[in-house]
Amino acid sequence: MRFPRITRTIRRITMLLAATALVLGVPAAAAAHASSATTGTGWIRLAHLSPNTPAVDVYLYSFGNSNAQIVLHHVAYGTVSPYEAVTAGDYSVAMRAAGASASSQPVLSTSVTIEVDHAYTVAGMGPEKGLRLQVMDDDLTTPTGKALVRVIQASLKQQTVKVTCDGKTIVPKASFASVSSYQAISAGTWTMAAVGSGGTATQSVTLAAGTVHTLVVLDGSNGLEILSLEDAAGAGKPPLGGAATGFGGTAPHGPGSPLPWAALIGAGSLLALTGGLRLRRHGLRSQLRARV
Amino acid sequence: MAFRRPAAIIFAAGLVVVAAGTAGLLLTRHSTPAMRPVAAGVGALPAPTGPIVAPPQSAAPRPVAAPVSLTIPLIGVSTKLITLGLASDGSLQVPPITDTAVAGWYTGSPRPGAIGSAIIVGHIDTVHGPAVFYRLNELRKGDQVYVRRADGTLVKFLVTTVQTYLKDQFPTQTVYGPTPDAELRLITCGGTFDPATGHYVSNIVVYATEAS
Repeated sequence: MRFPRITRTIRRITMLLAATALVLGVPAAAAAHASSATTGTGWIRLAHLSPNTPAVDVYLYSFGNSNAQIVLHHVAYGTVSPYEAVTAGDYSVAMRAAGASASSQPVLSTSVTIEVDHAYTVAGMGPEKGLRLQVMDDDLTTPTGKALVRVIQASLKQQTVKVTCDGKTIVPKASFASVSSYQAISAGTWTMAAVGSGGTATQSVTLAAGTVHTLVVLDGSNGLEILSLEDAAGAGKPPLGGAATGFGGTAPHGPGSPLPWAALIGAGSLLALTGGLRLRRHGLRSQLRARV
Repeated sequence: MAFRRPAAIIFAAGLVVVAAGTAGLLLTRHSTPAMRPVAAGVGALPAPTGPIVAPPQSAAPRPVAAPVSLTIPLIGVSTKLITLGLASDGSLQVPPITDTAVAGWYTGSPRPGAIGSAIIVGHIDTVHGPAVFYRLNELRKGDQVYVRRADGTLVKFLVTTVQTYLKDQFPTQTVYGPTPDAELRLITCGGTFDPATGHYVSNIVVYATEAS
């Protein structure tokens, strides 16, 4: 063993390089995350659908807060407000006679829990003597390519009506102060009819795919009337998945593969080792020293 | 003597190769960082002017004109809007690679300002640099977005939230599904870019609602 130092040095260099290559070659883990999607809000709208009840003021209170969040003044029969986005949580809805003091005892009130991304209609329903506030959970999902339609029967004069779409019955027997389930109907422009024992009302309604509608049957000044509401709308044909909207020109680029460099280091080490061993075998310590 | 010189040369050559390999390894370990984003507000545009039309009523929906341009003052976006449909695979069509400076409105979604969720899509980048929605993820709650329509009217939206979704977990119902008020969805790419597929793995979605 006449060249222990050279041999040791070569071995050390090789091991160090191998270790370095290993450490540097470990790829950084790319962390991607998905987040749940909501703004923490839902929607509510308020309606007066009691035919013989005079106009009212409608108040929306966040639960436990005596200051109203929304006040609608002088809401008459047949009025449906637009939806309002509100923070999800517990609320109460109160009705007072139009013009009554905000601090007076409400004629009636009800509580409603608004869930995130859900929509609600709170309507005064029934005859004046049996007036009640009804909370409806409004649908916000549609079958692909179709529209959803439901009927609120708010005619007191025609206690029972049949509702048809282009002559085809969609709600056979809607009784006063009832709310039908949603019916899926093909997209198109249709003639809706409310048929009572003493009269008929018709209305042309355009149903786009991906939309949700409510038809309210009302007592008009001349018999039945139909109030057509578009409650919600989305893409009629929802795209599949997300969108391919980038080509990577501004993206961070990860390091290339360390393998070719590691192979080069390995080959070099082998070469150096071969040369070193050969030097040792031929016992040329003095010459090597002289040269170095 | 004849064997010594080659042995020394082999040893030296080996060391040179190791040194070269090490240098190569070290020099290529650095990632190329993402392009540095411009600070928020830099290059901000003035809000467009024109009649802003009030939110629609639930009853008797009023038809609104088709969208023609989009302005997002805070991040310097001012672009015409092209119309987009669906690609043959059922996914959302995107503006062509030859026109990455524009955004597009998906004609299968409600018109901006009408009841429902209007979908507008734009690229984050080209193969070389930023595209129209490069700075979309800088938007925050309350930021303003304007859409001008074919009849000259303007509709103003306020951002409610900005979300990043992995594309394989994209919440289509939340993004494309019906809403009972006038809303806007601005969609672009984000997250990690996968060079193997040539696509980003995530989408950024900006949610906005019509200002009342």
